[in-house]
Amino acid sequence: MTTQEIAGLIDQTYSPQTWAGLAPLLTLAGGILLLLFVELFERLHPLRAPLFLASLIGTFLAHKYAGAVGPILGGSYIVDGATVAWGQLFLASTMLAWFFARQYYRTSLAFLGEHDILLLTAPLGMTVMAGAGDLVTFFVGLELLSIPLYCLAAFRRRRNDSVEAGLKYFILGAFGVALLLYGAALTYVGTGHLDLAGIAAGLEGPGRPLAFAGLALIAGSLFFKLSIFPFHLWVPDVYQGSPTPITVLMATGTKAAALAFLMRFAAVLPGSSANLIALLAVLTMAAGNLGALVQKDLKRMLAYSGIAHAGTVLLAVAGTVAAPALAGDAIQAVLFYMAAYIFTAGGAFGILAWLEADGDLFTRIDSLRGLARRRPWLAATLSLFLLSLGGIPATGGFLGKWLVFSVSTRADLITMTILGVLLSVVALGYYLRVIVAMYMEPEPAELAPPMTERAWATFGTSLCAWMVLILGVLPGWFLGRVF
Amino acid sequence: MSVPTEYLLGLAAILFGIGIAGFLTRRNLIVVLMSIELMLNAANLSLVAGARMHSTQRLLDGAGPDLQGPVLAIFVIAVAAVEAAVGLALIIALYRRKQTVSLESVSELRD
Repeated sequence: MTTQEIAGLIDQTYSPQTWAGLAPLLTLAGGILLLLFVELFERLHPLRAPLFLASLIGTFLAHKYAGAVGPILGGSYIVDGATVAWGQLFLASTMLAWFFARQYYRTSLAFLGEHDILLLTAPLGMTVMAGAGDLVTFFVGLELLSIPLYCLAAFRRRRNDSVEAGLKYFILGAFGVALLLYGAALTYVGTGHLDLAGIAAGLEGPGRPLAFAGLALIAGSLFFKLSIFPFHLWVPDVYQGSPTPITVLMATGTKAAALAFLMRFAAVLPGSSANLIALLAVLTMAAGNLGALVQKDLKRMLAYSGIAHAGTVLLAVAGTVAAPALAGDAIQAVLFYMAAYIFTAGGAFGILAWLEADGDLFTRIDSLRGLARRRPWLAATLSLFLLSLGGIPATGGFLGKWLVFSVSTRADLITMTILGVLLSVVALGYYLRVIVAMYMEPEPAELAPPMTERAWATFGTSLCAWMVLILGVLPGWFLGRVF
Repeated sequence: MSVPTEYLLGLAAILFGIGIAGFLTRRNLIVVLMSIELMLNAANLSLVAGARMHSTQRLLDGAGPDLQGPVLAIFVIAVAAVEAAVGLALIIALYRRKQTVSLESVSELRD
């Protein structure tokens, strides 16, 4: 290569297009650095909250105005419509977690500034994951997301359950990453490529068996993050032990990020694996729903319900693997499903964070009895979220399910779709149980309901409630803005 | 005269197997962490062995060496250090609370 050729290559790599594609990531990274700087001086601490929100809003605008510029940096980062849409959803999920964290921790708790910095690192990692065009980029994104979350899960380090949640999440997360890397290495040995396009082309070569073993390991590690059967057992413990605002982020953002890459990765998977993926989806739904039925703690119940939802959305992935022609519809369905899920589950966990800040007892379903009389709005909002999780029409959850099932039906996965629909009906059983407890049962005599007002949490839950209704009633508004 | 790629891949597979076995059977968190490191290094060994294999072919074709594998291996080494730091911090947090680093002490959360 001559000097001129190299100079040309450099110009091409660092073109305005590249900077536009990287703008959201750079904005977030800039925000993180500024927050770190602010942390140095006590006098600047009042700037924490405005800076955090400014970084989120700036990144949102960067996503919106830089737009989809296509593959950049030699194809290792792909900024298409899906990346931009995912990026904005991740910001929403982070913002919700931040709102609910405002009055959740005791103000005397050390390192609250660091908490926000770690929280802001998560969407950076998630966006890198969603746009990753090769396994190296994906790996960096995954770790950028996971490592802050390990710390955040164990943030209340004076409490046994928080430390335990952090450790469990770390050990299983690190194991998942090791599977991913060994899978990537085998795929690389087999095909000579780590970029998804190259892997797809290299699968025809002589290294096919090795590459397939590698792809299976990578899929396994993605299923781990997504809490798919049989890799779902860690979820309830980690969700329950972590501080609830962090659970909001783990339940919504992390899951969406793994799913975002899985949708890209699905293009590499052979069509013959669709039935296996659909089977895993149904088993996941069964495991999640049956687990949720017997729970007495709402936080744990929602964790199991999150497993069931991961199973549902995996049906759309199976659909796109079975019929690659449906890829466009599938990504639309998955994006809509996760958008609805982020606001629904985000809101539900948010209300839990609100209640839990008054005492651990308040997340038990028993202590929610009769809540409707004392806190009518709180009970109504929680009911809305639960109905949306159950997939009742006029909520975002219903349309998400409808889109996912329509993709899997058109991909000829009829049996699994029918099983999926039936399992969704089972799910209504435990959602309704909570609503019945709130509206029809007498208040527990020994426990006064929490009456503390929390402005940030109120704002966060109302935002979620509005979004759930808007997504349910005016889905075209969301889909039109995304595509 | 160099070691055949198959041998290197075989060694990596054995390392990975030892890592998984250690991860599944050992109860000491430090040993579990070491098992994970072993698995990461199995991946690294496979990556550089694969890079050598693919580079040989590419150099014969007149192209430059294949760098994708080694680049990922370098990232893995860097991130493994970060992971170990966070993991040890968590283990210390556990030790402060319970004066033990055994996995059995991490079982309060259950149905």
